Amino acid sequence: MSKSDIKGSFKVPLELRVHGRGGQGGVTLAKLIATLYSGLGLHVQTFGDYGSERAGAPIRAYTRVDETTVTNRNKVYNPDHLIVLDPGLLGPSVLDGTSSGALLLINTTEEGAEVAKRYPMLRVGVIDATSIARKHGIGTASVVIINTTLAGAYARLLGIPMEVVSEAYEKVGLAGDLAAAKEAYDSVEIFEAIESGEEASGGVEEYVLGSFPAILPLTGHVSERFAPVCTGDWRTQTPHYLFHEAPCNGECPAGNDVVGFIQTLKEDGVDAAAQRLLATQPFPSVCGRVCPAPCIGSCSRRLYDGAVNIRGLERWIGDNAEFPPIEKAENPEPKRIAIVGGGPAGLAAAFEAARAGHSATIYEANEAPGGVLRYGIPEYRLPGEVLDREVGRLRELGVKVVSSTVVNSEKLIELSAGNDAVIIAAGLGRLADLGFGELSGVEQGIAFLRAVKSGEKINLSEEDVVVVGGGNTAVDCARTALRLGAARVTLLYRRGREEMPAIDDEVADAIEEGVRLELYSQPVQAEGAGAISALEVAEVELYDYDETGRRRPVVTDRRRKIPCTRLFMALGQTPEAGLMPDVWQVEGERMLSGGAPLNVWLAGDLLTGAGTVAHAIGDGRRVAALALESNVAREEKPEVTPDGVRADFFESRPPMAEKHLQVADRLSSFAEVSEGITGPEEAERCFSCGTCTACDTCLYSCPEGVISRDGESYNIDGEFCKGCGICVAECPRMAMNMSGLESGRQ
Amino acid sequence: MALQLISANHAAGMAATMAGNANRSARGFCAGLYPITPSTECMEYLCVQELLKGQVVRVESEHSAMGVCIGAAASGARTFTTTSSNGLAYMAENVYVAALMRLPVVMVAANRALGPPWNLWADHGDSLMLRDSGWVQLYCADNQEVFDSVLMAYRIAEDRRVLLPVMVCQEGFILSHSMVETEVSSQEEVDLYLPPLDLPHRLRDDARTMGGVDTPAVTEAHRAQHHEAMSQVFEVYREAQEEFEAKFGRRPPDLLVPYKMDDAEVVLISMGTISSTVDHIVDEARSRGVKVGSIRVRGYRPFPELQLKEMLGGIGRVGVLDRDISLGFGGVLWGEVRGVAAPGAISQGYILGVGGGDVRPKHIEAVLKDLLERDSAEAPIVMETNL
Repeated sequence: MSKSDIKGSFKVPLELRVHGRGGQGGVTLAKLIATLYSGLGLHVQTFGDYGSERAGAPIRAYTRVDETTVTNRNKVYNPDHLIVLDPGLLGPSVLDGTSSGALLLINTTEEGAEVAKRYPMLRVGVIDATSIARKHGIGTASVVIINTTLAGAYARLLGIPMEVVSEAYEKVGLAGDLAAAKEAYDSVEIFEAIESGEEASGGVEEYVLGSFPAILPLTGHVSERFAPVCTGDWRTQTPHYLFHEAPCNGECPAGNDVVGFIQTLKEDGVDAAAQRLLATQPFPSVCGRVCPAPCIGSCSRRLYDGAVNIRGLERWIGDNAEFPPIEKAENPEPKRIAIVGGGPAGLAAAFEAARAGHSATIYEANEAPGGVLRYGIPEYRLPGEVLDREVGRLRELGVKVVSSTVVNSEKLIELSAGNDAVIIAAGLGRLADLGFGELSGVEQGIAFLRAVKSGEKINLSEEDVVVVGGGNTAVDCARTALRLGAARVTLLYRRGREEMPAIDDEVADAIEEGVRLELYSQPVQAEGAGAISALEVAEVELYDYDETGRRRPVVTDRRRKIPCTRLFMALGQTPEAGLMPDVWQVEGERMLSGGAPLNVWLAGDLLTGAGTVAHAIGDGRRVAALALESNVAREEKPEVTPDGVRADFFESRPPMAEKHLQVADRLSSFAEVSEGITGPEEAERCFSCGTCTACDTCLYSCPEGVISRDGESYNIDGEFCKGCGICVAECPRMAMNMSGLESGRQ
Repeated sequence: MALQLISANHAAGMAATMAGNANRSARGFCAGLYPITPSTECMEYLCVQELLKGQVVRVESEHSAMGVCIGAAASGARTFTTTSSNGLAYMAENVYVAALMRLPVVMVAANRALGPPWNLWADHGDSLMLRDSGWVQLYCADNQEVFDSVLMAYRIAEDRRVLLPVMVCQEGFILSHSMVETEVSSQEEVDLYLPPLDLPHRLRDDARTMGGVDTPAVTEAHRAQHHEAMSQVFEVYREAQEEFEAKFGRRPPDLLVPYKMDDAEVVLISMGTISSTVDHIVDEARSRGVKVGSIRVRGYRPFPELQLKEMLGGIGRVGVLDRDISLGFGGVLWGEVRGVAAPGAISQGYILGVGGGDVRPKHIEAVLKDLLERDSAEAPIVMETNL
């Protein structure tokens, strides 16, 4: 087919009008079509109807074709060809000026015959260009660009061969879209006009010189008003308020709502914050002193100007709030639950059970409950009266404690028979040992700490004390030894300072008090006749990482000897054997007998070996809830990501330091070293990651002014929101997000 | 020579690039640029070109954009900028500086209405605001004219008899964003048309002040010289036109473009793209026996007063169509034309298409009808063309 043959299939001059929405590529479509005609040797002119329109707003574009140079510079008012990119635009104004026999090409998913029926006087082409373009991956998932696809369908309507189309696409650098154009070329449905008549709509009216519409003068505006331009159905995504899980909340082993209690402290005061804490655990004063605080390690503020002192705030609440009695639920079917072990896990399990209206009894081998809190952690870190106060809360709640009662396997069977549930939270009793035999002066650190806490008089003056280990027990032993007058205290640890499991601040305090830290060191032999006098220590090198994520220590033959008259071993603990009846087996946290589940569960260190008070509390509650068939898990939320928090929104303000005793005063007594933070102001530093604080940033940053306050939260007017996402990007704390909308335009 | 389907913004960018490259054996090319709708695409085009010598300097404002051109031109570079509307207004102080320092800067102004309230569309008011700034002003009616005028502008600006900056004006969107087949010249052709720039007063290694202080007598003399240089443009323009035709094989239009004026008794005078719509109505009215002609004013500064006077002769009805308004007076073009029309002629001003109103044949028809029916001229008539 020659070019002149092709030209014979339509009349020139011809005028074409494209109706689309900003972002769909309508202007490029008009240009592409102009290129098609230009390729046939015709003169063309093509332009868009530009305005200050945003994506989604209706736009028009035009192409004129003639045998001679096009001199008309007007827009197209009487189109011979009309292309509609979005059926949502179809209406009288789109068809304006079209005459009988004009060509109408529509991109729609609707049935072709149905569409054509509505325009009997027009020649109609129907194509689902959006699906074709999406299939060929033109544009993005949310904004599919359909212009190149539609131009293929248009060429078919005009009888232009595909070769000419290919040529035009090559010329404008769109050859990649040819496959889609070809598919549209082959699949467009064509319906000839079935009626003829006068102009479909519109017409030529005479122009009257000097006539003006009624337009309000600029000086006539008495208030600033926006023209109501609904944008709702143009946007491709929409913002909404979605709270995210803050990293501190996610990290808390006890399951505390950290952001919640800090924000409550800030907004509603200390008593309300205490109530918030009691929802998850009854020991804020204890945890506020001894928790290793992974929350602080994960705080979003950490890399900005220092993490929020969350532990300090928890302690401040625990020490300063008026705690009302814990509310106890009315339970129509109270159960009896026995808990073996009165350490943190057992206490937390009892708390959970009693609060839910059940009857909880703790069986404790020692004289008083508390476990490591009472017998392991020194007075200068956790004063006894603090522990008593918080344990007292459980007694008020009705938890019974049976003290000085060792539970063995027979007793366990008895408890299992006499209770609805038994939770074993006996902790880890077996202590690791260096194997130095029966030299005097070599002791377990735990036993030493226990003896000191029990009031035993121990004098270590003139003694060369060596502690082996890197955990909190080791550090506690070292610092306790200093307080008992030791001449020299050395802490040996086989890895580096970074790897020490002890709370970092405690290690720093120990060094400040005079403990000598000897890292990468492992005792290999004790010397002495009857009593220890010196220790042979080997240098350790660290190699590849083991399954715990720590580097594997390898003892070298580089040795040295250090004086040592007392050696305290703090090398970790493992479960005590012989507690369970032989016929019982463990499956997860539950005990079985002959494959059948028993009403006995394990909790705390015995189950997890995690070794911190906070883990024990969290696990105690969790297992109690399992045993009682209730649920303590919080609603799952997406996590706050580091780039979701905008630190630059916040004024820089260093963390509040805790007040410490002078070193000289510390060593002369067991007085508490840290007095904690001096006030609740530290709460102001919390970013409240993931949770809205009604800071109004979204409201201020919305360029459309469509966000309004609604009590403590906000409303977004979906009719006028254009989906720009500025509010979400500006939200300093990631309490909002954007979600895509399926095109509602079809 | 190649025919390309491009917008006038791209045509302007292409012509400026080639003109700049043609100066590679001298002091090269420099464009100081800052974006504003509808001239942004011209800037964008320039920013991605590989210049043979020189560079595009993107600055923080239009004022600085012209500052860059002034500095580069003073050192002998061929210079270019493009802007529009409020951008041109912000640039205004330095627009005067370029002219008063007699620097041959070339600017493409995409004509757009000044705001607020904001309006993005065509209006000659922005460049007419700088009518008296001492720049040569050319107003284009189609894409080809934009391309050709930019090349011609350098010829005129750099001529030793002129040494003045030239503003090539194109209506925003109507030209700037419309794509039409345009004959694009080759670099070799442009090299032959634009010789390397040798600015006589450029800064060399002798340190001296440009644009210091003038006493009244010196200012009077400088203004007279500037005015005289403007009057040289008519002759230089003709030469540039001849040379253009010889080199490129097409002839850019004259400073005044008459249409069917030979026996005209009524004339419609306009600038820019409205003229093409006027010509359609001239044809249509002539088919009804109305002896009407039209004149397009392409060269607005210097104003071709003598030639216009000659064309108008004794014509008794003169309609002037302004896409601008001098508030408190009327159309700017009308103000100049009515002093040139025959004594006693009816010179009626019509203001239409302001702020981008789409001037259609029916509007021109209404203007002609009014002009033919009236007994005397009245105050300018402001029209609303979107009705």
